[in-house]
Order: sequence, then structure tokens, then C-alpha cells
Amino acid sequence: MLKQALPQRAWTAIAIVAVIALALVPLLPGAVDSYAFSFLFFVFLYAIMAQGWNLVAGFGGQISLGNHAFFGLGAYTTAILWTGNYLWGSLYDSHPDIYYFDPVTMTLGGLVAAVAAIIIGLPLLSKLRGDYFALGTLGFGEIVKVMFINGGDFTGGAFGVVAPAGTFDTLLPHYLVGLGLMAGVGVAIRLLMRSRYGLALIAVRDDEMAASANGIDVLKVKVSAFAGSAFIAGVAGSLYTYYIFHVGPDSVFDLDWMLLPLMMTVVGGTGTLLGPILGALVMYAVFDLAKIVVPDYHPVISGLTIILAMLFLPKGLMRSFAGRARAA
Amino acid sequence: MQPDDTLLHLEAVQKRFGGLVVLNNIDIAIGANELIGLIGPNGAGKSTLFNVITALYTPTQGRIRFRGRDITGTAPHRICRLGIARTFQLVRTFLTMTAFENIMVGAVYGSGGRVRHATSAAQDALELVGLSAKRDIRTAHMTLSDRRLLEIARAVASSPALLLLDEPMAGLNPTEIQRMVDVIRRVRAEKGVSILWVEHKVDAIMKVCSRVIVLDHGEKIADGTPREIVANRKVIEAYLGEPAA
Repeated sequence: MLKQALPQRAWTAIAIVAVIALALVPLLPGAVDSYAFSFLFFVFLYAIMAQGWNLVAGFGGQISLGNHAFFGLGAYTTAILWTGNYLWGSLYDSHPDIYYFDPVTMTLGGLVAAVAAIIIGLPLLSKLRGDYFALGTLGFGEIVKVMFINGGDFTGGAFGVVAPAGTFDTLLPHYLVGLGLMAGVGVAIRLLMRSRYGLALIAVRDDEMAASANGIDVLKVKVSAFAGSAFIAGVAGSLYTYYIFHVGPDSVFDLDWMLLPLMMTVVGGTGTLLGPILGALVMYAVFDLAKIVVPDYHPVISGLTIILAMLFLPKGLMRSFAGRARAA
Repeated sequence: MQPDDTLLHLEAVQKRFGGLVVLNNIDIAIGANELIGLIGPNGAGKSTLFNVITALYTPTQGRIRFRGRDITGTAPHRICRLGIARTFQLVRTFLTMTAFENIMVGAVYGSGGRVRHATSAAQDALELVGLSAKRDIRTAHMTLSDRRLLEIARAVASSPALLLLDEPMAGLNPTEIQRMVDVIRRVRAEKGVSILWVEHKVDAIMKVCSRVIVLDHGEKIADGTPREIVANRKVIEAYLGEPAA
């Protein structure tokens, strides 16, 4: 946080160059329609989710197993606002694309998730610690899913909500917004971890009792990290709505939206800034390759990769390569 | 002691865990810039008393006043911001942080606005305990002795009026103990804080403190100068057992 070693500066440079290079990819002829383009979009999406999980679990030490619920809340918020035209009124008639990648709609997707996290986080985090908090968030995810299945016309029940898919033209906006969000979330978390808040978050992770004895409002720090994590997941869910259009309980509340980012973060390096991104890239490549090459056995290959990573790189890729185990 | 000079006032404090009374009817008044030793056999309630003062436990009965204000039931982080800092018997530092970052936590969050320039306050505290050379070393790589000093520095950085030390000498060798005694004296002299110091090493307490409080089975059995304490019949009985017949 306060002391900067040279390798970290090198990593920052690599990250900036990588983002610029990725932003230039669409200019290559045929790139936008290639398989690699949609592959990269999903890497960005999972990297954003992994960053969100890493904020509360990696830096904050609070293992949330409910981030798929926040992803789903963001996705549903976007789809419901759009199909019900709750936001833009008559402007929607003159501008039929107004909800498509609308920053206000996407922000609201994140905010709804963050508010849900505060409502559920206050009782959970003031009473439950460690594994019990993790199980509480898992239960929360299931409750939210059931509520949306039984939400009647408002949530579309078990079928869900279908947004106007006619707005889809190319994957270019998905790619650019995904890349921008991934980079933006990375910069935001870096600034956050170098601020006073980052100091408190690490203190709470390292020793709650010492943190509170030294003036840190532990509950406030934990709940805000949980809400921040949920906000990031909610915005990611919103982005996914613009890709999938059909938002149903089984697709956006799928446990994979929590489990895969969790695995990616752990493989990449929990509590590091670039670990979740690196983990998302490596693990999504493994998952995708396994699905194509050995479709019947792909969960086996994916699982095996995680076991091997844990055996030989228990601190994650980032810490193993960067050499110096240092948060942020 | 003048009443307006009183920093901390425990009034008939009792702490019960189920049927077990761990602290009973404790009255203690602590003035400004005192150095008070708190001794007693194992299980006398010394650590429980610290935990009650710093609000990790709520007393079952009684009141705690700090600068005249009732702080019974106030949250632990607010107690620290009001000006009561502490260390722990089983040393608790933030292991993934450097020494300096550890102290910054106290300066930034613990001071409740008393510290204007957190960085220089942290630097001062680091110098006060003699750890300046280890500023950027991660706590996980520090010795027990250094971690205990670091905990004191972190507490001092929050600019407290009262400092509670829970067995700062446990596990230290004679050289380290001497260093710790020097640090405690320096903290009191330079920072003008009051120190309540729990210690098993009674000889150190008797040499350094001007006032000693003795707990036994949750009761305060003595409160006076070291000279009075060593002559106190109840204290001798508590440590050596009752004389036969």
C-alpha cells in the first residue's frame, strides 16, 4: 500500500499496455466477428466478477458465496427497467435504443445489488463470522432466486424477462464496455486499497479484534466492502443482459456466476490486484478449451486444473510470478 | 486525588459469565499520568477487567466513566477514539502489513481527530519504541519482542490519555524486558499518558510503578504503593496461600 517495489511498477506498465492493446483489437480486420472476440468479452465479464469477489473476500477476508445473487439482481434490474420502460418514458419511443448500454440503467443494476447487500449484510456481518457468513450468503442467493421465480408478472416467473433483442447489432459495444469496466474496476480498487479505507479493510482481514481496538468500525468496513462487491457484480449482470437478452432465474442466478469467479481469483491470487484478471483469462481459457476438445469431460479437466493450481501455486499466479507476496 | 483529575472511574463493576463471577464490585479510579501495576494470580480477572474497560465485554453491573462521561456499553472502536488504547496478552498485529502501516491504523482511525498529521504521528511512535529501522518490514517477519513494541507504538499513535498494557513482557528474555521497561517509562514521560499495566513479573511492577492494584478471585484486595502492597497480608495470602493454623 504505502511502499512500492519495482516489480509492481512493472506490473502496472504491463496492465496499461495490455488494456491499450486490447482496445485496439477491434481495428483488426475480421476481429469483431471472430470467436476470439466473444471469448475475450467473456474473459472481461468474468474478470469483473472476480474483481468484485476479490474485494470482499480477498482484501476484506469475508468469504461471500452470494455474488451470483448480486449478478442476477443487476441483470434483472436492467431487463425489468428496459421492458417496463420505467426510466425514460416517452424518450423511449423516439430513441428505441435508449436502454441499450445506458449508463443510468447499468448503474441502477449495480445500486440495486449494493442496497440488497447492505440489507442482508448488516444482520449477517454483525452476527456471523467466517464460514457461517459464507453459508449465510449462500442461503441468501437461494432465497433471491426463489423470490424471482415467484415474482409473478413483474419478474416473469420461472421463465424470466426477455429484453428487446432486436437492438443487438455487433459484439463491439459489449467488448469495449467490458474492457472499460474491467480496467475501471481495477483502477478503482487500486485507488481504494491505497486509501485509508484500504488500510482499514486489510486491518479487519488480518485481525478484527485489533482493528476494533484501534478505532476501526469493523461492521461498517465489512458491510461497505460487501456492498462494493455487490455493486461490481450487479453492473456485470447488467452487461450480461445486453448480451443474453433473456434473463431467467436459472441462467442469471446460476451458482457458476459465483463459483467460477471464485476459482479464477484463487488461481490468479486472492488479495492481489491483477490476480483476478489473470485468473479469469487462464481459467476461462481452460474451461472453454475443455468444452471444445473434450465436451463430455470438461468439468473434469477444469476441476483438475484447479487442483493442480492449488497444489503447485497455492498463493496464486500473481504471487508466484511477482515473487513478493504483497497485497495491492 | 481530586475528582476532576480522574481519567477513568470504575464504579462497582461486576462481570459474570453464567454463574461464574469473574469480577465483583470493582472500584478503581485512575488519575492523569499515573503508572499503575495490576497484578494478581492466574484467573484473578485481570484480562477480563481490560476487556470490560475496552468494551469487548459489557459489565453485568456497575458503571465505567471516562473523563466524567459514562462509557458503559460504548462500542470498542469508540472507546479507542475517546482516548483509551490497549495491547493484547496474545500479541495482535496486522500480519500482512508493514510495521509502519500497523501504526498508521492507530494514527488514522484510533485518534478520533486528535492526530492531525497521521504520518508524522506514526513516525514519532515508531521512534519512541525504537523500531524506526524496521519501518517497512512486514509484521509476520518480526520477533515477538518487536511485535509487542509495535503494538505499543500503534496504541501510542492514537494519542490516548489512558494506555492499557496486557502483559507486555510475556515471553520476552531479560534484555528484551529491560528494553520494554525503558519504553514504558518513556511513553509515560514523553506522551503524558496514564498507564494501567497488567504483568505477571511482579518484581518489574514493584520497581517501576508508583501504585499497584491487586486482584484475586475477581475482587480488588489491595491498592497502594509497592511498599504497602508487599506488606499487605491479603496479598501475601493470595500469592503464597493462607498460613497453616
